[in-house]
Amino acid sequence: MITGVMLKGIGFTLSLFVVTAVTSIPLGFALTYLSNSKFRAVRAVTRAYVFVMRGTPLMLQLFFFYFGLPFIPFIGKFLVMDRFPAACLTFALNYAAYFCEIFRGGLLSVDKGQYEAARVLGLTGTQTTFRIVIPQMIKVVMPSVANEAITLVKDTALASVIGISDLLHYTRALVNSRADITPFFIAAVFYLLFTFGLTKLFDALEKKYKF
Amino acid sequence: MEMLKLTNIVKSFGTNEVLRGVSLAVERGEIIAVIGPSGSGKSTMLRSCVGLERISDGSIEISGRSLVREGVTVPEREARSVCARTGMVFQHFNLFPHMTVRENLCLAPVLRMVLDKREAAKRADALLDKVGLADKADAMPASLSGGQKQRVAIARALMLSPEILLFDEPTSALDPELTGEVLAVMRGLAAEHMTMVIVTHEMAFARDIADRVLFMDEGIIAQSGTPDEIFQNPASERLRSFLRSFNRIA
Repeated sequence: MITGVMLKGIGFTLSLFVVTAVTSIPLGFALTYLSNSKFRAVRAVTRAYVFVMRGTPLMLQLFFFYFGLPFIPFIGKFLVMDRFPAACLTFALNYAAYFCEIFRGGLLSVDKGQYEAARVLGLTGTQTTFRIVIPQMIKVVMPSVANEAITLVKDTALASVIGISDLLHYTRALVNSRADITPFFIAAVFYLLFTFGLTKLFDALEKKYKF
Repeated sequence: MEMLKLTNIVKSFGTNEVLRGVSLAVERGEIIAVIGPSGSGKSTMLRSCVGLERISDGSIEISGRSLVREGVTVPEREARSVCARTGMVFQHFNLFPHMTVRENLCLAPVLRMVLDKREAAKRADALLDKVGLADKADAMPASLSGGQKQRVAIARALMLSPEILLFDEPTSALDPELTGEVLAVMRGLAAEHMTMVIVTHEMAFARDIADRVLFMDEGIIAQSGTPDEIFQNPASERLRSFLRSFNRIA
């Protein structure tokens, strides 16, 4: 029955991965724009956010969001979350900070002349962002995003510290109860396969955005 | 009515005054060549006419509509509409690298709903044929030579049927043997009486094609006149030495 429970763990791991990926990327993008805001205060707050999220351990952030928030006076009682939403929120906020920095670099790489050409051709700011800037940015950031995605696969294992029954959690339980280390290998193979799939996916995307 | 009218425009970057009161009126069908040493304000003047630079003082009118009124630029939406029929060709082409040549041409007219997709594609192919690149419609910009890129950029500017075309050193980034093909396309436009303002270092071309040549120096139009007046009888020592420096190279 190794696979039965382990499959359940894989389900959690995959869900956490997917939720984090689809939320942190747009969030990171929004942060990139905030960090380029014309208002100094907005820029400062964004920089501070990125500094804190990148500068503290993800595990500590998990503890904070799951165990810590409910202790905040007055509003704490509204901030009690189940384990899984708490993990998703923490991962999304944490990865958004990294993506913000990656996208910021990508944005800087787009030549000034591209904005000028778009302007002279009469495109609006939104059209320029979505039709000219983002497609060129994607190409530049793709390798770094791939790297983050692979890191995320393995970081999901951290969710077990707030009691989420992810793949690694069940694996450890099985190893302990059966005194057999085979589950470790199975888990390793799963992570490797997952990473392999992602690598292939990003290779294909990189090819698509080659110009 | 003038296609383009600059009245006493001033532009400063910090304490550095790049344009110190430039006035110019361009008539329909007129071809103006702007020459002058680097840093004289030629490009800045041209870029101000399409809102790429914000001038500090003076007025700019395009086809009788104000883009800047005594130092105050009209609101963004209006500026876009005033500049809608003004085309610009850049020194570094500024093609969109992630799109094919045809997509580069069709993007703006389709997004601006000037043309629908089919009309745009048809017009793109016709214009590419005109600049001699009919076979490159599906190519990516990276696969083109500099001269080809610049011809695509000209075709892209023509997609919006501009009433006036501004050229900012269109051949300065090209290998010498590639300038000819770009200049030939521009000559073709001149033959069709396209109104053009061309900032250039190609003296022979300027002399040949322009109705009027402006010599800019230190932020003002130091001398303007017919090509003969400028090149045969340079009035100032500055212009004489500027032209001499070109003859020495050429």
